Amino acid sequence: MAMDLASVTSIWLAALFTIWAYSYTFRDNMWFKFAEHTYVGAAAGNLIVLGVDNVIRYGWIPLTKGSMLYIVVFLLGILLFSRYHGKYFWISRFPLALMVGIGIGLSMRSTVTSEFIAQIQSTATMKVLGVDPWTAFSNLIFIIIVLCVVYFFVFTFPGIHTGRKGYISKIARYGMMAAFGYSFANGFLSRITMIFGRLDFLKAQWLPLPGAMVALPIVLILLVYAMIPAEKRPWPKPKPAK
Amino acid sequence: MSKQEKNIWEKLENLPREFLYGLLLIAFILPMINPIGLPLPITPEVKKWYDTIEALPNGAAIIIDQGYSGGGEPECGPFAVAVYHHIFKKGGLRVIGVATTQEGPLLWDKAMAEVNPEKYGRKYGVDYIMLGYFSGVETAMAALGKDLRALTSTDYKGASLDQYPIMQGIKGATTFDLLICYTTGGDQSEGWVRQWYTPYKTPYLCNVLALMMPTMLPYQKAGQIVSLTKGAQAGEMELLVKKPGRGIASADVMTMTGLLVTAFVVIGNIAYFARRASKKKA
Repeated sequence: MAMDLASVTSIWLAALFTIWAYSYTFRDNMWFKFAEHTYVGAAAGNLIVLGVDNVIRYGWIPLTKGSMLYIVVFLLGILLFSRYHGKYFWISRFPLALMVGIGIGLSMRSTVTSEFIAQIQSTATMKVLGVDPWTAFSNLIFIIIVLCVVYFFVFTFPGIHTGRKGYISKIARYGMMAAFGYSFANGFLSRITMIFGRLDFLKAQWLPLPGAMVALPIVLILLVYAMIPAEKRPWPKPKPAK
Repeated sequence: MSKQEKNIWEKLENLPREFLYGLLLIAFILPMINPIGLPLPITPEVKKWYDTIEALPNGAAIIIDQGYSGGGEPECGPFAVAVYHHIFKKGGLRVIGVATTQEGPLLWDKAMAEVNPEKYGRKYGVDYIMLGYFSGVETAMAALGKDLRALTSTDYKGASLDQYPIMQGIKGATTFDLLICYTTGGDQSEGWVRQWYTPYKTPYLCNVLALMMPTMLPYQKAGQIVSLTKGAQAGEMELLVKKPGRGIASADVMTMTGLLVTAFVVIGNIAYFARRASKKKA
């Protein structure tokens, strides 16, 4: 199936930017910098467009339909920009305080239930009896490590971490190290999946396009050349320092 | 001899990153060119996710947060696509998409282009819809839960929601049978627990980046999330849905690169302890 010009152009651009962006893993170079700056610029542009779209969709349209309360919202929004004024910057604190207050109020209404009570309940109701041996063992380890880690973070009485009692903190440290190891392994898995996604894109969408197989070595040669330190390159020579 | 040994360990500890990344690149490319076809067991979490959707009654409404960023698309995207295949294949379900990240609507379009719901006989506005991006994350979630129709009167293309039959009877969180969130951000994955599960008890399926798993697992253990999966498990979902895609293709690569990095870690540790031992000897 023939592809339209816009699709072909976007695939070429995506492919080139992918290669340039990942080239940083080998060495910093001008192609990477170009990709980085372009990405930041494009992201900022996209954010502005979406911001304006949001103001129109959720502010301006309801206002034009007669919801006069939105005038207050617009006024508060405009007041946020007063922070750029040397004398009246303090006015921006009012809408900001309102936003922070609403945010905290909304998250606090269920934080205690969802992140405190529910977690304690689930740990306290863990069974070590009447379940299969493996679950019992796993739950027992879980309970021991939870208790030890809680103990580890009691800083009020330094004496409780010394001598024989120090073993509890040691168990907690091993437990936390295991959790960090699990985090690291998962982090690695995430990165690998992301890299695979881009390589798969290059293989499945870019390389089958006409000219891509010829372009690939050229792009790579240019990249390797850009990775050579400026003073060792035959051309262009670095500008002498003034 | 001791000096020579020391040099070897030191060299092993300080291998140039270009060399390590080069090996990693080879571990990526080889299984991509020649897939090994290693077995892919289906984990209970993915099965539970599948069964939860399978158990939904006819006419059930699902709210889906297309909450991953462009950078996280290679991980969360394949899983989302596999789930969309499942939902549209099953039929009789109403999918209402929302986005709590700016790129959400764009990535929704990408996923829909990949799934092609029309192939299953599903129509936009009848079986599925995208309402667009809602800024404010938790503030938006709370407002959506209270009254979705008060928050927006149009879909992501600006068309009035009144014209779409899918929106009939849809109001707030209580009108939904299931909440699904694919996300690359903790604000989203945890926010839905706080703003939807806790006050409304909406059953919640969550798909996150693998690196977010340790912070999200306690919610699943406490029963606040029905099933928590990582994007890297997309291959398992594709197997269940019988729609092989990017997930299955990545399985071999993940195994090969995982083995290679494990080898790096082991060699690095051996070199570290050997260097320490030889220093003590000296």
